[in-house]
Amino acid sequence: MKEIMNLGFKLLLISLIAALSLGYVNGITEGKIAEQRALANERARKAVSPEADAFTEIEVNELGGDIVVEGFEAISDDVVVGYVFKTVPKGYGGTLEVIVGIDNSGTISGVRIGSHTETPGLGAKATEESFYSQYDNMSANQEIAVSKIQKSDTEIQAISGATITSEAVTKGVNSAIKAFEAYVQ
Amino acid sequence: MSNKIKIFTNGLYKENAIFYQLLGMCPTLAVTTSAINGLGMGLATTAVLVLSNVVIALLRNFIPNKIRIPSFIVVIATFVTIAGMIMEGFLPVLYANLGIFVPLIVVNCLILGRAESFAYNNGVFDSLLDGLGMGLGFALALTILGSVREILGAGSIFGVSLFSANFQPVLMMILPPGAFLALGILMAINNKYKSSRV
Repeated sequence: MKEIMNLGFKLLLISLIAALSLGYVNGITEGKIAEQRALANERARKAVSPEADAFTEIEVNELGGDIVVEGFEAISDDVVVGYVFKTVPKGYGGTLEVIVGIDNSGTISGVRIGSHTETPGLGAKATEESFYSQYDNMSANQEIAVSKIQKSDTEIQAISGATITSEAVTKGVNSAIKAFEAYVQ
Repeated sequence: MSNKIKIFTNGLYKENAIFYQLLGMCPTLAVTTSAINGLGMGLATTAVLVLSNVVIALLRNFIPNKIRIPSFIVVIATFVTIAGMIMEGFLPVLYANLGIFVPLIVVNCLILGRAESFAYNNGVFDSLLDGLGMGLGFALALTILGSVREILGAGSIFGVSLFSANFQPVLMMILPPGAFLALGILMAINNKYKSSRV
C-alpha cells in the first residue's frame, strides 16, 4: 500500500511538472503562434491576389459550400479587384487550408496551401509552386478536374502518389469558385 | 576519454538505430522520400533524443523502476510538444520545414529505447553523448535512405536534378514499397560489409 502511494505520488509529481511547464510555454508561445498564423494568412492572401493592397472580410455563411470558412474582398485603391476564399477540404492526413484568389473577370489569380498535415514527400508537395501554380489563370466558369496524366485548360495534373491530396486541393478550389459565383450574383 | 568516444561512435555506426537495431521504423519508412526530409527528421529527432536522455539521466534516481515507462513517455511527450510550440512561435521558417516531423517524433521508439537501455543506467554526460551519437547515426541513415530513394524515384538529390529530362524515374521508389526495398538492400550491403570484416 505504501509503495503504491509512493509510486502514484511520484508519477503525479512528474506529470504535474510536465503539465506546468507545458502550460508555461503555451502561455509564452500562444500569442506568438496566433501572430505567425495571422501573418502567414495575410501573406497567402497577398500571394493569391497580387493586385490588392487591402482585404475586407465578407460573410461566407450563406454562400453554400460548408468547407468555405473565410472570404475577403480584395481591394486596390478603394476598388474591389477580386475575392479571396479560404477553404478547408479534407485531405489524406486531415483537413488542409486552401486559399484561393479569384479576380473580377472570373479567373483564378492564385492558390496557396496553408497549414496541413499531409505526408512529407508525397501530399506535402502540394505546397510547392510546381503544383499550386497549375491553378493560375484557370477559368472559374466551370469545375476543375484532376487528371493523372497531364494538365489541360480544365484539369490539373495530380501529384504522383498523392491523388487524394490533389483532389482535396481541387475540391477546395471548386468550393471557392461556387462561393465566388454565389457572392457575385 | 576513449570510453566517451566509444559511446558516441557506438550509436553513430556500430549499433546504428536503423541498420543495426531496427528501431524507429515507422518514421523511417514514412519520411525518407527525399534526402532533405530524411535529414530534417533526423536532426529534429536528435534534438529531442539528446534532451530526453539528459533529463532521464538526471531523474534516474528519482524515477522508481516500476513506473519508469510512463515517466519516460511523459518526459518525451512534454519535450516534443514544447519543441513544437517554440519552433512554431519563434522560428517560423524552421517550423515550415520541420514542423510536420515534430508530431512523428513522439512515436519514435528509438527515443524510448535509449531512455530505457542507456540513460536510465548512466550518467548525464554519457547519456548526452549517447543521445548525440544515436541521433546523428539515425539522421545519417535516414539521409542515406532518403538520397537513394530520391535519386531513383525522382532523379534528384536535395531537390537538385541529376539527370536530363529524358530520365524516367522509378516512381515506386518514393512510394511505400520503395521504402522497404531500399531499406532491405541497404541493410544487406551493411551486413555484408560488417561480416567481411570479422
